[in-house]
Order: sequence, then C-alpha cells, then structure tokens
Amino acid sequence: MKRLSTAICLGALIAATAPALAADEPANVIKYRQNVMKAIGGNIGAIAAVVKGEVSFTDDVAAHARGIHEMSKLITHVFPKGTDNAMAADTRALPAIWEDMGKFEAAAKALEAASANMVTVAEAGDPSAFGAALGEVGKACGGCHKPFRAEKN
Amino acid sequence: MLLSIVLAGVAALNGNGLRAQTGTPAAASVEPSLERGAYIFRAAGCLACHTDAKNKGAPLAGGRAFETPYGTFYSPNITPDKDQGIGAWSEDDFLRALREGIAPDGSHYYPAFPYTSYTGMSERDMRDLKAYIFSRAPAATPSRPHELKFPFKYRILMWPWKLLFFDEGRRVEDPSKDSRWNRGAYLTEHLGHCGECHTPRNFLGAVKRDRVLGGNPSGPDGRKVPNITPHPESGIGGWSQSDVTFFLESGFLPDGDFAGGAMTDVIEESTSHLSDEDRQAIAIYLFSLPPVE
Repeated sequence: MKRLSTAICLGALIAATAPALAADEPANVIKYRQNVMKAIGGNIGAIAAVVKGEVSFTDDVAAHARGIHEMSKLITHVFPKGTDNAMAADTRALPAIWEDMGKFEAAAKALEAASANMVTVAEAGDPSAFGAALGEVGKACGGCHKPFRAEKN
Repeated sequence: MLLSIVLAGVAALNGNGLRAQTGTPAAASVEPSLERGAYIFRAAGCLACHTDAKNKGAPLAGGRAFETPYGTFYSPNITPDKDQGIGAWSEDDFLRALREGIAPDGSHYYPAFPYTSYTGMSERDMRDLKAYIFSRAPAATPSRPHELKFPFKYRILMWPWKLLFFDEGRRVEDPSKDSRWNRGAYLTEHLGHCGECHTPRNFLGAVKRDRVLGGNPSGPDGRKVPNITPHPESGIGGWSQSDVTFFLESGFLPDGDFAGGAMTDVIEESTSHLSDEDRQAIAIYLFSLPPVE
C-alpha cells in the first residue's frame, strides 16, 4: 500500500514537472538549442581541421564523431512549438518545421544515422572511408537546414 | 517604355575585351568524350535546375520553378526525347543555345538560362556536354511555359537586352595569369556560373558588373546569397584557401556550420564531384577578385 502511494506520488510529481518543462521560455529554449547546434558545429570544425591536415590529432576524430552523434539525438525535442522565427526573435528556425513534423523528424534521424556511421568508421580507423562518412553527415545537415532554416541576415 | 529605355542604352554598349567573337562553327575534329561530358555536366550544374526534384520529376525533364521579380520561370525538358526534349537538336543548335542564347527556332532565351555564363565555354566542352546529355534517359514530360509579368513576357525584349548586357563569345585565357587562375576563372565565371546567384542584378535582371560575386540580396526564390569576394568583413577574406576547397567538397563552413539554401544542391550535384585541382583553382580565382564591401 505504501509502495503504491509512493508510486502515485512519484507519478504526480512527474506529471507536474512535465508541463513545466514544455513551458520553458522560448528565448531560453532557442539559446539552448543553439548551443546544441554549436556543439555539433564545433566538433565538425575540429574534424575539418584534421581532415584538411592542419592538425595531426587523428586519434581524436572518433571522439568528435561521438559528440556529434550524442547531440544529434537531442534535436527533435529542442524544437517545441512557439520557437520559430515567425513567433520568436533571434532564431532562423522556419515555421515549416511544425508544418511538416514528420519530415523534420526524419531529417533529424538522418543525422543520427549518418553520425552513428561516422563513429563506426572513425573507430575502425579507416581514413579512406572517413571522407564519405563525413560527406553523408554533411548531406544530413543540408537535408535539414535547406528546408527548415532561414538565411542569415 | 521599357523598350525605349533599353534601345537608348544600346549606344552605351561596351564589349568585354576578353571574349573571342564567334559565329559558332562546329569544328568536329575530335569525337566527343562522354567521360569529359559527364564532368562538364557536373561542373556546369545542369541537373539541379533542369530537374523538378521537389515533385519527383524525371532527371533533366525540367519543370523546376524559379520565382523571380519578373514572374515564374520553369526550366525546360533537356532530355534527349525527340518531341518534348532536345533530342531533335543538331550539335549546332546546342552550341548556339549555349553560346548565343538562341533557340533552334530563332527565339531568344531569357537569362534565367545562364547562357550569359556558358557563352564563355570552349567548343570542345560544349560538344562533350551535348554528347553526355544525349546519352541520358529521354523523358516525354512537356516543358511548362513560363508565367511572366508584363512586359517581361514579351520574348522579343530579350534582343535589346542582349545588346545591352550580353558579351558573347568563348573565354580567352589571360596570358598574364597562370594556368590555375585561368582554370579557376573559367570554372567560376562560365561553367559554374557562380555569378548568376552571387552577383546582384539591376532592375532589368542583368548582373551588376561593379559588384561581381559581391552577394545578392535577392537570389533564387528571393533568398539572400552571400558575398564570396575576399572582403575581410562582408566576404570570405577571413577564410583560408583550404576553407574554400573543403567547403566546396563537403558543404561545411569554417565555423562548422553547413551551407544553406540552393548551395546545398550546388555542393551535392556539382562542386563535390570536381577534382581537388579544380576546387583549388576556384579558390585561387575567388581570392584574386576585387573585394566587394
């Protein structure tokens, strides 16, 4: 009995917390999501420096690939309603995201898959396959940015 | 009114000294190469514009819409279908379209078709390109007519427009520059037709020659296209040469961000397929341009 009531209390607590999460300030969500994207961009920039031969940290590439893969899993839930560029400031997220959520989620999943493959290739240490894996990640980035992100002003 | 403005300007016509005059002779001395043609096809970016990918159109069967201030252009079918495509064209027809912007029936193309850039192509490249396009699968999709506003729907206006703004002729190499620079200029200005999007246009739709590759506030579908001259703030002056080549190959910008807008198509269909040497040549040429603020 005691255990059941604890479970009910816990359930109520979660139920009370969940809407609070969804009600985060749009401006704060936008900043958060931009940090997620910058984390991806930072890891890409680091990989690019290795690929271009500017630095010799070849062994670090797998870690950067894992970083991108971890961040890619966060993408779908950092786009709550009300955080597009028509309703909020300082974002380039187009309303098209919420008009076709299925397509948006598929585009995010494509990055998850492409980055998972890049992790595998990087861990296997095959430099000849890495370029193609990075290219697929690039395609996944473009596949989402092209339909769903506005140009810089 | 428009016509008179255009005609008045003809007196001010100014040719470009770097062009060879042509009457488009087809000197068929060498058999066309499909392999070279395939590469030129990539470098010239034919596929992305001549395919209505959004509506799952057949490759090169046209129908892709281009919203512009002059109305909506639809790319035509350029598959080798004899009725709906260009399958009935002779080699001379093909060369004239690219070099002179004139259709086999004698009518003038709108510069939405970048013959204004392709005019500088070598004859060999044009012939190889034609051979490659004619080796692709035909599609019987009818070409959709453009939907243009007054007065642009009158194709005859393209004649005075060309007198004003079109320098016809194959590009001649600049002997004061090395071969890589010349190759870069050829790829950037002609095959790659970069200026068609990256150079702003005047109210008559002609590119502004004092702002070559200096960014376009109103590019394809009204979207902003960046400045790719080596200006330190507004252009790519802060990039390294390898930043440019890596971008053209992968689509990744120096800050790890990814290309936006129509450039994703250009990367995917065109520049990622070029040789490293050609991407380097483009970078060399871009960094040699006068910086546009």
